[in-house]
Amino acid sequence: MIERELEALLFLAPEPVPVDELADALRVEEDEVQAALRALGDALAGRGVVLRELAGGWTLASHPDAEEAARRLLARPRTPRLTPAQAETLSIVAYLQPVSRPEVARIRGVASESAASALVERGLIEEAGRSQFGAILYRTTPLFLKLFGLRSVDELPDPSEWDPSPEDEAALRERLLRAGESRGEAPA
Amino acid sequence: MAAPGITRLELDLDVFAGPFDLLLALILREELDLLEVELADVVLAYLDHLEARDELDLEAATEFLVLIAALLELKSRLMLPREEIEELDELAPAEAAEELLERMLAYARFRGAGGFLAARREAEQGALYRSAPLPPALRRASLEQAEQAYDPAVLGQALGGMLRTPAPLDLRHIATARVSLSERLAVLRRLLRRGTFSFDDAVQGADRMTVAVTLFALLELYKRGEAEWEQQESFGPVTVRADTSVPAVA
Repeated sequence: MIERELEALLFLAPEPVPVDELADALRVEEDEVQAALRALGDALAGRGVVLRELAGGWTLASHPDAEEAARRLLARPRTPRLTPAQAETLSIVAYLQPVSRPEVARIRGVASESAASALVERGLIEEAGRSQFGAILYRTTPLFLKLFGLRSVDELPDPSEWDPSPEDEAALRERLLRAGESRGEAPA
Repeated sequence: MAAPGITRLELDLDVFAGPFDLLLALILREELDLLEVELADVVLAYLDHLEARDELDLEAATEFLVLIAALLELKSRLMLPREEIEELDELAPAEAAEELLERMLAYARFRGAGGFLAARREAEQGALYRSAPLPPALRRASLEQAEQAYDPAVLGQALGGMLRTPAPLDLRHIATARVSLSERLAVLRRLLRRGTFSFDDAVQGADRMTVAVTLFALLELYKRGEAEWEQQESFGPVTVRADTSVPAVA
């Protein structure tokens, strides 16, 4: 039964392991690995570790119930929240990657150098070459997928769900038009 | 505030006649188009005024320079095409609003996505992952294997050899020809006492080093005024004789 061996491999591996690597190590076909993964996932229900598919592979994680105790044991506090600037920059990189820094700045309407550097520092994004105009391009890292619980960037929700509702859009347009007209009438 | 001398400056321009301070007030209130005011005429009027007064009020002159410079800058800006402002001005209010709206909508989308990601990260903080390195048994080469492949004694010897400072090299077998300057000076002085001699005589049968040092010694004698030498043609014989013009200082 490869299920026990599979569990042992995932216990040892420090990073998510792709199915094909598991199949190679276990010397079985990939669909057997898939079946064993399902069985292992079921067997771990209600236990202290959970089986997760993340960043293109499979890995074991501690159950959220154990978080507080685990952080005390490892003396590892929670990482600080992403600042709004970092979160916006990260979302632009995640959805539009590879994307250049000027493009990020254009969308956000402000320079985003420090937010981008902070994200690089945290290992969530990395440089991905240069654009045809020489600007640094960014993409997300495997660590980003792991820390955000994603199998791949395709798993991100459709961003149009955050577009303002038609009513909000209409109200915004109305406000802008009024502002524009008053500017046109009385130049400051 | 303009100094009294300046505000009282009477101007008679194509588009304006009156004191300078009134001109300033009208321009600032946009009741007079600066583009139509010939600022050169204002400067000329001021120069006339200066000439008539026949004295230079430094404070007033400074005030005038500041004011006229400000007016020139303002006018040059009015004359130059203002790209950004014109771009917006050219757009009808509706178009400008539409353009701005589009940008704000695109931004709203990613602001929302950013909020989602930040919340997702917080929710995921509960899951912790193994961050330890692989156990030694699963690393590519274990300590046991390394000991089998390499004899520690051999490695220790190799490393020990590198850590020892090697003995200094023995260079005694390399012969260094030693020709001293004083030695060659003595030879030359001995020859000088006998009178004129040729350089070739002085270095007959000597090696290159001796020839070089002898030449150096000859230069030294020449510098001290003990000898003078001449050569009729290139590569010809060098004749050396005691310098009789200056008493030799031995």
